[in-house]
Amino acid sequence: MSSDTLNYLRFWGVRGSYPAPFGSHLRVGGNTSCVELRVDNHILICDGGTGIIPLGNSLMAQKEIKEVTIILTHYHWDHISGLPFFVPAFVPGWKVNIFGPGDTMEEIERRISGQMMDPYFPVEVETWLADIHYLMANNSRLDYGPFSIDMFNVHHPGSTFGYRIQVHGKTIVYASDNELSFIDKTIEDRKGELDSQEWQLINAMQQEERSKALESIENAHVFVHDAQYTPEDYSKKRGWGHSCFIDTVNFAADAGVKQLYLFHVDPNYNDMKIEDLHRASVKIVHQRDSSMECHIAREGLIVDIDKL
Amino acid sequence: MTDQVPTIVVVDDSATSISLYQFSVEPLAVNFIGFKSPAEAFPYLQEHQPELLFLDIIMPGMDGLTFLRRLRALPHQKDTPVIMVTSKDYAQDRYIAKQLGALDFVIKPLRFKEIRDLVCKHTNIKQPEQNSEQNSKP
Repeated sequence: MSSDTLNYLRFWGVRGSYPAPFGSHLRVGGNTSCVELRVDNHILICDGGTGIIPLGNSLMAQKEIKEVTIILTHYHWDHISGLPFFVPAFVPGWKVNIFGPGDTMEEIERRISGQMMDPYFPVEVETWLADIHYLMANNSRLDYGPFSIDMFNVHHPGSTFGYRIQVHGKTIVYASDNELSFIDKTIEDRKGELDSQEWQLINAMQQEERSKALESIENAHVFVHDAQYTPEDYSKKRGWGHSCFIDTVNFAADAGVKQLYLFHVDPNYNDMKIEDLHRASVKIVHQRDSSMECHIAREGLIVDIDKL
Repeated sequence: MTDQVPTIVVVDDSATSISLYQFSVEPLAVNFIGFKSPAEAFPYLQEHQPELLFLDIIMPGMDGLTFLRRLRALPHQKDTPVIMVTSKDYAQDRYIAKQLGALDFVIKPLRFKEIRDLVCKHTNIKQPEQNSEQNSKP
């Protein structure tokens, strides 16, 4: 059955770390992490950075949908700081489901409510008059409407998830914060100390870890991934939990990704710099003779899920 | 009859990593048990308290820190000596591990001798006879 309703992914916030509302940054966008997936009138929101604020305002301007599910990768500010301004949460008649790392529903609630209390914020989560539900996963899986969501642990400080989302036969992987190749560099640093037997085992372990990491994103139609740093900045910020864009491009191409979106870009990088990184990324894809498409995740960009 | 030999448990999703521990502790008088996921390890740890537990962080299903939090809720695992061994070298993870009573937080990769040293340091067993250059102390 055909439908005239567009099923899409939309970027509402693409910055890492903190908002960048500067004139020089607005072609890419200044809001922090928030991606909307709207399929069959079900709305799944990845992260609640400042991008969720304009998304909330747009939801208030329509009447058809009154429920959303928000999946948080983790609780660093750039992923939750839009939630206190997400209008649907304050309005009776709305239903807001929230999921994120945590052992119990109470723990998820505690982590969310921690930023909405005196002296940090004037009102508490008790002022959320919508029907708020905190969700628990079942065997690392969550189902919501047409979405099947599997979570996996990633390289970022604290408990942090990446999400593999299946919908309408398409696979969308969202991993906003993930430091790729960390173990490779740690092993490289110690290579000279290892004897041959150790080297053999550690080399095998490295291959095994890489295969497992690739499995989570294998053949994704859309891969939204951390591409925060240039190689120069990464060398200074190694161990901060973010990737160099070159590692991201190579990793995505190795995994057979169809469309890569460079995401969680550094707030210090202006549009020109990010467009330079994009050009360098496309060059890598070309040199690898890969068919992968590589895009900048720009605020407002819409991807038609059914055309993937 | 009580088994006096200390039990060392490893929870790590890498089979090769488990082998690395196994090779390392071979010269020591210990029981060694490796599990490839928290889900596999949990039923065993509900029943047994090892003398030392090595715990990876990034694993399928549940990360090592969440697993340790769940483990500490079991009365007999409140004081189990735990060492986090991971490729996640982040201050936030170190802090959480410390809050959960982990004894140590070490970064992969580990050499055979480094694993043996950790086992001997945190249990009462002695280092094996030094019969190779690799095993000799500096």
